[in-house]
Amino acid sequence: MILQGKRVALPSAPVVHQRFEAHAKATPDAVAVLCAGERVTYAELNARANRFAHFLAARGHGRGAKIGVCLDYSIDMVVVILGTLKAGAAYVPLDPSYPAARLQLLLGQIPGLALIVASRATAGLVESAAVEVIAVERLPGHLAGLPANDSDVPVTGDDVCYAVFTSGSTGTPKLTAVRHEGWFNLMNWLALEYRLDRGSHNLVVSAFGFDLSQRSLLTPLFCGATQHLMASRNFDAAMAYRMLSEHGIRTVHCASSTLYLLVDWETARGGDALSRLDYVLFGGEPLKVERILDWARREGNTCTLLHQYGVAECTDVATSYDLADYRPGEHDIAPVGRPAYNTDIHLLDERMHGVGEGEYGEVCISGASVGAGYLGGTGPESERFTTVMVDGVPRRLYRTGDRGRVTPAGELVVAGRMDAQVKVRGMRIDPTDIERALGRLAGVREAAVVIGHTDSGEAELIAFVVPAGEDLTENDVRTRLLETLPRNMVPVRFINIPRIPLSPHGKVDRPALADAYRNQYAHSGATA
Amino acid sequence: MIADRVRAIWCRELRRDEIADDDDFFALGGQSVIMARIQGAFIEELGVEVPMDQMFRNATVASISSYIESLDAVAP
Repeated sequence: MILQGKRVALPSAPVVHQRFEAHAKATPDAVAVLCAGERVTYAELNARANRFAHFLAARGHGRGAKIGVCLDYSIDMVVVILGTLKAGAAYVPLDPSYPAARLQLLLGQIPGLALIVASRATAGLVESAAVEVIAVERLPGHLAGLPANDSDVPVTGDDVCYAVFTSGSTGTPKLTAVRHEGWFNLMNWLALEYRLDRGSHNLVVSAFGFDLSQRSLLTPLFCGATQHLMASRNFDAAMAYRMLSEHGIRTVHCASSTLYLLVDWETARGGDALSRLDYVLFGGEPLKVERILDWARREGNTCTLLHQYGVAECTDVATSYDLADYRPGEHDIAPVGRPAYNTDIHLLDERMHGVGEGEYGEVCISGASVGAGYLGGTGPESERFTTVMVDGVPRRLYRTGDRGRVTPAGELVVAGRMDAQVKVRGMRIDPTDIERALGRLAGVREAAVVIGHTDSGEAELIAFVVPAGEDLTENDVRTRLLETLPRNMVPVRFINIPRIPLSPHGKVDRPALADAYRNQYAHSGATA
Repeated sequence: MIADRVRAIWCRELRRDEIADDDDFFALGGQSVIMARIQGAFIEELGVEVPMDQMFRNATVASISSYIESLDAVAP
């Protein structure tokens, strides 16, 4: 079973920043980015990004180099990202809301890390003996006198533009790389298919480390529109909603759980700023469609809701579905729709053969969006990138590990994982990554993490801990875990048990633990 | 007392009977979704909009209460 995306020709060098440079020439005085009352035009932004590219080149950082970016949203962040691309290098977002210990672990896994750009507020998180850290506040000094012309470093569609950390199943996050061609193809598809143009002003509402934030950051600059950034490190519904009302925003890209918060905000307080957007492009986790359906069907709601599916390994978005087509009686799960341009979805069985019509198979992706793979990775995860023969022609393909089928109308439906990986509030999480962090804490002999569900059906992480001595207390374990893991990887419950149950194969018996949680602990206070 | 009203909102949203003034929101199992509800409750019930970054920075009842007091704009 193959779903084929429309074939749309790309330029011979599909390079993301060149589209931005074309806008800088065509509409130099248009506002490119607005943040905290400051604004920068396309021409000014291009000049500053060019100086940063020349600054990198002068230090010998070009194609193949990785630039770590540990910044809060700001105009300078956009300067650094565009300048990095212009220099032929790739950037790696480092989320400043993460604890320093986590960021240090991530830094050690970036091959070719050439430089980190931080700020006074974030430099302490990414201090490094191995690589230079520069403070963004000192950039004007570094850039003074450097040329402002477009960089002439040759960049191809195969060069890596960014790399983000994703969760695997081996207990350590992996760095997955996206190519210019894939990113160009994604934004070109959005621009043509949904007619995004100079008027498609966007507001970024997601955290910097997400793959979706890279698309949200660059799409308006690819289309010649104005990008609005919130001067907030954490998602702030009150601030976001006010900006939607006051700044003529037309598009928002977000995780499904963020859309629920915005819908709740509008529903509780009245208003129509969200309902009047052109598009919300959302997804990244199983959709609880009942959370938004009443709002979406309300009279006067003219916002087109695009329910999208994809993986970081294949440039973030692979398919899109207009939620207006959703029929509660007909669909048990809201479909994720049809493929992006130049992207194919294959549903394969374990022998890598196509499954029959309507049957479930592993969702695999081929085409322009397939990324450059895991950087520095030779582990078992790398085998997810493979080659299959389609009509006698070899195709590079990525096996997502997601289960899917195709509806009679030709739309993809994704229903769960082939393995233990989970999504919590849009973030892909590997339970073994958390188990490992728990196992390192003093007083913990062993730990297992499973998924529970809240009363409203949202996934949450539940930890079972085997204490080395005295029983552990919940607040103590959680406080210590918060020093090493991002907040949304820290379980909501910690339960002391004498031993971890194992399956007949000697692996952690997660189904047994999940059952135990549901039946014994979910509604009791018997926690650690 | 602002702190009493803040504590009542925290207890309700975190589903706890008691919360001490210096208990850390995240150590209590609080998450961003709950923080967003608390932000909404502050607007509805106290008449103040507290930026999310301040909510994260002041993650105890004592600390966020004194931040709110410093705003000097609480509805009775």
